[in-house]
Amino acid sequence: MSEKTEVDLTGAKQNTGVWLVKVPKYLAQQWAKASGKGEIGKLKIVKKQGKADVSFTLNEDLTSLSALGEKAASVRAPRDHPFTMHSVGGQTLAVFTETSADKISLEGMVVQRAECRPAVNENYMKLKKLQIEVSTKPQRLTEQMDRAVTNNFKPVANHVANVEYEKKKKAEGRMVRADRQQVMDMLFSAFEKHQYYNIKDLVEVTKQPVTYLKEILREIGVYNAKGTHKSTWELKPEYRHYQGGEEEIKSD
Amino acid sequence: MASLGGSSSSSTEYIVRVPKNTSKKYSIMAFNSGDKVNCSSWTQARMERDMSNRRMYGVEETEEGAAGSEFGKKQREEARRKKFGIVTREFKVEDQPWILKVNGKAGKRFKGTKKGGVTENASYYIFTQCPDGAFEAFPVNGWYNFVPQAKHRTLTAEEAEEEWGRRNKVVNHFSIMLQRRLREQERGPDDDDEEGEKGGKKKKKKGGRGGDLRIHDLEDDLELSSDESDSSGGEDGDSKPKKKGGDVKGKGKKKKKKRGSDSEANEDSDDGDFEGLEVDYMSDESSSEEEAGEEKAKSNKEAVPKGIDEASESEEESEEEKQNEEEGKEEEEEEEGKKTPVQTKKKRDSSGESDTSEDSDIDGEAASALFMVKRTPPKRGGGRGSGGSSRTGSRPGTPSIDSASTSNTLRAAASKLEQGKRHVVGGSSESPAAKRLKMESSSMAVTTQSPAPSGKSTPQPPSGKSTPSSSDVQLTEEAVRRYLIRKPMTTKDLLKKFQTKRTGLSSEQTVNVLAQILKRLNPERKNVNDKMHFYLTE
Repeated sequence: MSEKTEVDLTGAKQNTGVWLVKVPKYLAQQWAKASGKGEIGKLKIVKKQGKADVSFTLNEDLTSLSALGEKAASVRAPRDHPFTMHSVGGQTLAVFTETSADKISLEGMVVQRAECRPAVNENYMKLKKLQIEVSTKPQRLTEQMDRAVTNNFKPVANHVANVEYEKKKKAEGRMVRADRQQVMDMLFSAFEKHQYYNIKDLVEVTKQPVTYLKEILREIGVYNAKGTHKSTWELKPEYRHYQGGEEEIKSD
Repeated sequence: MASLGGSSSSSTEYIVRVPKNTSKKYSIMAFNSGDKVNCSSWTQARMERDMSNRRMYGVEETEEGAAGSEFGKKQREEARRKKFGIVTREFKVEDQPWILKVNGKAGKRFKGTKKGGVTENASYYIFTQCPDGAFEAFPVNGWYNFVPQAKHRTLTAEEAEEEWGRRNKVVNHFSIMLQRRLREQERGPDDDDEEGEKGGKKKKKKGGRGGDLRIHDLEDDLELSSDESDSSGGEDGDSKPKKKGGDVKGKGKKKKKKRGSDSEANEDSDDGDFEGLEVDYMSDESSSEEEAGEEKAKSNKEAVPKGIDEASESEEESEEEKQNEEEGKEEEEEEEGKKTPVQTKKKRDSSGESDTSEDSDIDGEAASALFMVKRTPPKRGGGRGSGGSSRTGSRPGTPSIDSASTSNTLRAAASKLEQGKRHVVGGSSESPAAKRLKMESSSMAVTTQSPAPSGKSTPQPPSGKSTPSSSDVQLTEEAVRRYLIRKPMTTKDLLKKFQTKRTGLSSEQTVNVLAQILKRLNPERKNVNDKMHFYLTE
């Protein structure tokens, strides 16, 4: 059904190299809070006799944590994060993007894999402690209830709900018979929406007494006792105009 | 980008940015190293989501719109599902696998399944270097592992199991796939959907195919002429090749298929396999011999299809078998059907009646009239020939006899009684009278009959009291007088004397007649034992 989206292979052709970096959760959260141009920090690469040390420094303004609640105010996110570099290994990792318009394009190939680690210091330890506290809190809690749950009920002359229901019914009063033609029109428009109706639903729709409604229905409709649509009413074939979901005005 | 000096090290700093509001969603496409995938070598690629799992999860959407839908169906279905605790997992398009086709139709195909748990505890970012030297970091939305899809033919699970069992015996491994290819060819190109549904059926039917071939052929012949569409049941696979290449070929293919299928895992046809099969009746002798005999005799005579009358007749036939032969003979003679012929027949019958033990014209006439009514259907074997033909000839114009035949059973019973009576009573005149009256009364119900006999016979029972009948069973004034002279009797006693069986009158009639007689006689009354007795003195 869906046409295959042509993949834009410019990235692959150019052999654009990208880095795949694994970043800790808290850091990712901080990055999401970036403002303006989206600057989050600085990446420092030191090349020392063939080896490269990469480290990332988080911007000052992004160090304040708010995700963990009140306690977080005292703790700050660590700023230094050395990167651990890995080779891609056997895997061929490509990066592709999908736009909201369902356009797929290949961005490039992964040439380096890295892990962003926080520098181990006091600050970080505090942060971790906080995190552990949050995560060790049990999800289920035991509360004391003020009233016990029981299935024993005192006998009641008439339930509250029942009383209200009866009052409501009385207020509505009996259903009045409307003009026959009117009712038929109502029925036709109802059957335009659905093919099969239960008698109860029809009563609800038309607000007519059951006997009167049945009379009219016998004129224009037929009752399905068996079959898939068990005990439902539908219009007689000559009145029907169903065409694969299209609505038509039915003849009278 | 600031570069700091250092003796043997050089460090550079780059700004890292996380761009906001990008509409692009980044995902990883991971290939296996063994596949040796080189993306740069791709000339053209197409990718789309694999939606084949939709029906597993998604509710089969019945037609929206008016036709076929019920009011409130959705709500009811939902409520039902909740009640049973059925939890249907949503079909998320995001989580569906990808299908990647590289270099067009002839190129490679990959299926990319989403890897779970990637973004749970840590986030992946893609760092790309921009032209201005800064890095841009994009979060990774999903990780898909792409595996190449086999284009060559493979064995299905069942086939594979079977081959595994024969691995020690099979030397020529190339033939395995060759066979399968041949089988596929037979089944036709557009077999995909049917394979699944028919596969099971075919396997079952193949076991029974040998015995069923004959029957299925017939069905197939019919099928071919009537409708082109595939029908369920054993003809499935057969009809298809047949349509392509005629009956002979079809049969040949069937056999081939059978052979081919032998190499597959087949069910042996067990005992119960043929139980439910429907067989034509052509070979079955189900009707009783007698019926068959009768039917055949009749059908031999006439090629005319049996009407309802004749059918009912044949029913009656068996019933009437108990009747006397003589009556049968009478019937045959009578059988000409119309009312006037009826009467002439009656005359004839009266002569024929001489065969019977009791002879009297009236009796004979009445009897014949009644018998004619009753006897229309029944036939002896011998007489059937003529009777049958004459009957069929007369069939169209005999409503009277029709009605008679329908009430035949009653008549049969009545006539039996009569016969019994006839034999018992003897040849006196009382019997004919009795019989006549009895017959008349019994023929009351048959409207068409009553005119005939009544026309013939002497006055009706109500007027029977003035009839010069000589039976002492008759309810006559004379008889009553005799009784009352002898001894006083109550009305009950009198009634007992004139039993309805013997006088042929109904109880009501008896009462009426008796009342009239008593009025005329005006007997004297005496009260004996608190009961009113009548008596007469000479």
